[in-house]
Amino acid sequence: MELNARVPAGPLEKKWDNHRFSNKLVNPANRRKYSAIVVGTGLAGASAAATLSEQGYQVKSFCIQDSPRRAHSIAAQGGINAAKNYQNDGDSVFRLFYDTIKGGDFRSREANVYRLAQVSTEIIDQCVAQGVPFAREYGGTLANRSFGGAQVSRTFYARGQTGQQLLLGAYGALSRQIHAGGVEMFTRREMMDVVVVDGRARGITTRNIMTGEIESHVADVVILATGGYGNVYFLSTNAMASNVTAAWRAHKKGAGFANPSFVQIHPTCIPVHGDYQSKLTLMSESLRNDGRVWVPKKQGDKRLPADIPEDERDYYLENKYPSFGNLVPRDVASRNAKEQCDLGKGVGNTQLAVYLDFAEAINRDGEAAIFKKYGNLFQMYEKITDSNPMKEPMMIYPAVHYTMGGLWVDYDLMTNIPGLFAIGECNFSDHGANRLGASALMQGLADGYFVIATSIAHYLGTNKLEKVSEHEQDFIDSRRVVEDRIAKLLKNSAGGPAGKFTVDEIHKELGKLMWDNCGMARNKEDLEKALKELPAIKQKFWDYVYIPGDTKEINQSLERAGRLADFLEFAEIMIRDALTRGESCGCHLREESQTEDNEAKRDDENYSHVSVWEYAGQQEEPKLHIEPLSFENVTPSQRSYK
Amino acid sequence: MSSINLTLKIWRQQNSDALGQLETYTLDAIHTDMSFLEMLDVLNEKLTKEGQDPVAFDHDCREGICGMCGAIIDGVAHGPEKEVTLCQLHMRHFKDGDTIVIEPFRSRAYPVKRDLLIDRSALDRIIQSGGYVSVNTGGTVDGNSIPIPSQQSELAMDAAACIGCGACVASCPNGAAMLFTSAKVSQLALLPQGQVERKQRALAMVEQMDKEGFGNCTNAKECEAVCPKGISIRNIARLNKEYLFAAMTEG
Amino acid sequence: MWFVRLLSSSIGKKLIMATSGLLLVLFLMTHAAGNATIFMSSDVFQGYADELHSHPLIVLIFSISLLVLVLCHVAVGLYLFWENRQVSTSRYIITKRVVKNSFASETMPYTGLVVLLFLSVHIFGFTFSPKHVDISVTVKNLLSNFFYSLFYVIAFIALTIHLSHGFWSMLQTFGINHPRYNTLISRLTLGIPLFFLLIFGGVALYFMTGLGANY
Ligand SMILES: Cc1cc2nc3c(=O)[nH]c(=O)nc-3n(C[C@H](O)[C@H](O)[C@H](O)COP(=O)(O)OP(=O)(O)OC[C@H]3O[C@@H](n4cnc5c(N)ncnc54)[C@H](O)[C@@H]3O)c2cc1C
Ligand code: HEM
Ligand code: SF4
Ligand code: FES
Repeated sequence: MELNARVPAGPLEKKWDNHRFSNKLVNPANRRKYSAIVVGTGLAGASAAATLSEQGYQVKSFCIQDSPRRAHSIAAQGGINAAKNYQNDGDSVFRLFYDTIKGGDFRSREANVYRLAQVSTEIIDQCVAQGVPFAREYGGTLANRSFGGAQVSRTFYARGQTGQQLLLGAYGALSRQIHAGGVEMFTRREMMDVVVVDGRARGITTRNIMTGEIESHVADVVILATGGYGNVYFLSTNAMASNVTAAWRAHKKGAGFANPSFVQIHPTCIPVHGDYQSKLTLMSESLRNDGRVWVPKKQGDKRLPADIPEDERDYYLENKYPSFGNLVPRDVASRNAKEQCDLGKGVGNTQLAVYLDFAEAINRDGEAAIFKKYGNLFQMYEKITDSNPMKEPMMIYPAVHYTMGGLWVDYDLMTNIPGLFAIGECNFSDHGANRLGASALMQGLADGYFVIATSIAHYLGTNKLEKVSEHEQDFIDSRRVVEDRIAKLLKNSAGGPAGKFTVDEIHKELGKLMWDNCGMARNKEDLEKALKELPAIKQKFWDYVYIPGDTKEINQSLERAGRLADFLEFAEIMIRDALTRGESCGCHLREESQTEDNEAKRDDENYSHVSVWEYAGQQEEPKLHIEPLSFENVTPSQRSYK
Repeated sequence: MSSINLTLKIWRQQNSDALGQLETYTLDAIHTDMSFLEMLDVLNEKLTKEGQDPVAFDHDCREGICGMCGAIIDGVAHGPEKEVTLCQLHMRHFKDGDTIVIEPFRSRAYPVKRDLLIDRSALDRIIQSGGYVSVNTGGTVDGNSIPIPSQQSELAMDAAACIGCGACVASCPNGAAMLFTSAKVSQLALLPQGQVERKQRALAMVEQMDKEGFGNCTNAKECEAVCPKGISIRNIARLNKEYLFAAMTEG
Repeated sequence: MWFVRLLSSSIGKKLIMATSGLLLVLFLMTHAAGNATIFMSSDVFQGYADELHSHPLIVLIFSISLLVLVLCHVAVGLYLFWENRQVSTSRYIITKRVVKNSFASETMPYTGLVVLLFLSVHIFGFTFSPKHVDISVTVKNLLSNFFYSLFYVIAFIALTIHLSHGFWSMLQTFGINHPRYNTLISRLTLGIPLFFLLIFGGVALYFMTGLGANY
């Protein structure tokens, strides 16, 4: 596998300009002769499809849901970063770049991150022009807040629904292109395979979720914008349909998968309350600005929080990290919550929760002030848990939230399969080992609105593509492989469900294995154990999963089974990746690699690289490749929040 | 935490052509902390284990924001709680021994595809007909060069909060899509960015809405009462005004 | 044509209802003012009626416009009712209204039809009454009949119900809905129909109960 990042020459600030200048273009009149497939209609996919169509390309857009507006991006709450420096508080493109690189614990590519910071300002202008109702100051200018521990206020937001509003903006742009005929929209389609012809991605195979039809779609380039794979853990804050399928199938066709073990675990989620639970709900991180995190000092203390006196409470974050206190970064907060619960100090029925207490803030600022700030979050919490945070402390616990890993891409966001691009959360490019709050929305829109069209023009301008059709052997083969796999999934169903397992039962088993062994804190022993236990779950799945119904109809169990089958395969490189990365960095904590006082210890000597996995075949061990990272504009420093 | 026993009567329909009917199921020991959809998950696991077809229903985010879930619960869209989607409705709002009737959202423009799963693409087509500001990517002015009074922007945000679940249509005695359409028209009519195409947008979206077979509004207010995002019928008044003005001066 | 497009759209049809409804309400106001003279004395009332009929052209124009208005309102109203029924009937096994006090909005066509029936009876009785009998006498004769008056009262109640949704609904259709004025609007929506009930119903009751026996 050849990993050429194709980072443009020149000083950091000039790379993007140089690149755009040296890239080939496609003349406007010729663009309509080219076609692009965009899979996914989240921020990345919708913005890319709309932009490419505006420029004149023929676009086919795909999503699983019944409408492009429902992609998982819709759920993002907090906001989107941009280096506008509207607040005049010392922000700049370089600072956003630096914060992002540092936040990612120096495991991302400088040039990509710098470009992200550069185009961030254009994103805001674009979204404002579309009519996204960002929060405003009384004077009518755009409002900002500080987010995720940043020292400047650079986060733009639309109430607690920033992702929704940004996505509706992109959905509007996409809808306009659908209306104009430039985009053909395929909803309720699940991509099952990438079709590679003569070494280039030339199309996809999809299953029509409504009819079960296996369809081929041909194009000159294929862009994946299929989101993250957090659902490998079964429980996560991701939407139910979020999956690794598209990325995994691309991987099996030869695309490298980078840093699969880098998973962000968000500290403030509503705890699990029962084994029936289907997903976890995020509570905005902003709550930590005023809430104090604590657990009882005594193990197994079953008293109500109000009955536990001050001196029997352990405000562990404030004690351990006096300067950052409750505002330590996500990974540190998450790990410490887990540690407290592992020590038996967790609270609530399951003892897998810690308190987030607003009593002091209410005393200090008054009920009204606190309610004004967090009222809608409190109401959301109360709806779910039936408990009012104004009266008793909230209970929170970490949950899987975002996956930094993804398909390996070069500076142009192209995978190592020519003609196959990956944008948004499904690539690995910008967040290194940890993502800053409010940066995923920024990246999705940067990729879709401002980067991908340049890449596509260059690719089409420099390569001569033959005409292909769905009658080509590669397309026929791909359809056959997909059909065979579905048949294999359904083969157990003959003979009824007796002695078999449902899809969710096995998914929960996989989730538990991953959460326990490849979750917040990892060690060699557990990871090796997981690697050993994984094949048995996989075997159980293929031998005993029971899927009711047929393929030629709406069959939601079959959809889930297909996704789980891919998660089961994918889990292996996740574990292997965690195992081979012997250092702690960002969200990835290896218990073997810690400082004396149990803080994460990065090892730049041995691990300053991107780990890229190559698929070697069904029975073969995956191959590890390395893209070394070099830092010319920043000096990697050890994080310390003490 | 307590648990309750329930009888469910659920609309079952193989596909759009098949005739459907209510089927009765019983479920025991449902935790009251469960969401409504988790309760349906439990039912589906049970049905699967018994070799029966699970109930098809749409859902995705389970946080009340994607707008994918929804059903008629005992005659009310998204169930008895105010301003929640079905995925955010919790079982503590039901009592032990309750019988719950669950039917799909219906309207002339919403064919039932299977069980509780329907086709709402008509709503997408309304947006496609004009529910956006026609700007291409790039070349836009600086965000702060369009000052917008914060009150105005908040009003626009109130309307923009619509999640496109379509409960308004399902609950409207006439199957009208006025609340949905008016939310988008209002958002953009309230913002300076929306002014250029203001009239064209109102005309085109209403025309599309009529073409899709949605009913006529009789100001029955049911839409507002079930809307999980509290979209106000003030938006419908605004749409009426926008449309009247546009129709009299444009086209 | 722009107005064909306007009037054939769903909102356009609503606008026809609202405009004709508004004009009918305005007519009812003038009519109520005229009828209020009944309470003064038969002479005043007779004087008002005579004065009115001394301008036949105005009466003719008024009558024709009213007829057109009523026809528009009734025709479009029934058409909408018919169209909406196709959507709404037997949609759900359980249908439940969430909005409280939805009786008036649900029964618009029925209260409307009662009013229509009333209008025919009313016009037949008064407009086409024998010309040689004074109108004040006709009023007294007809309304002194208990059942005739009862029918009147019932019709006026129907009208009140019709307008207790209709008045607000008309303003909503014209796009008038603003938090600052909504309280006023809901008061008017109650007050105006009640005012009509008071005046028109009062006349009927006046004769029905025998109070107007010496009229
Ligand atoms: C609860 C929550 C809150 C968040 N808050 C923030 C925040 O405040 N700020 C921030 O910056 N980030 C936030 N994030 C992260 C951010 O929302 C996501 O990273 C981002 O939206 C991903 O966008 P995307 O376009 O890459 O993919 P998605 O929005 O996930 O879209 C994926 C698309 O791909 C389609 N798809 C997937 N698989 C297939 C397939 N096999 N075939 C066909 N189509 C497929 C789906 O239908 C969908 O359209 C949050 C995330 C969560 C879970
Ligand atoms: C003097 C008599 C009448 C008055 C003052 C009157 C007034 C009104 C008003 C103000 C409205 C509200 C319009 C809107 O929603 O925009 C209305 C609606 C309606 N009227 Fe009348 N009306 C009268 C007679 C009738 C008659 C005779 C009918 C016969 C069928 C009728 C049927 C209806 C119907 C069905 C509606 C509801 C239309 C809708 O909301 O879509 N009305 N009326
Ligand atoms: S207006 Fe309300 S009920 Fe209608 S689609 Fe939007 S959110 Fe759903
Ligand atoms: S599942 Fe997304 S709103 Fe209910």
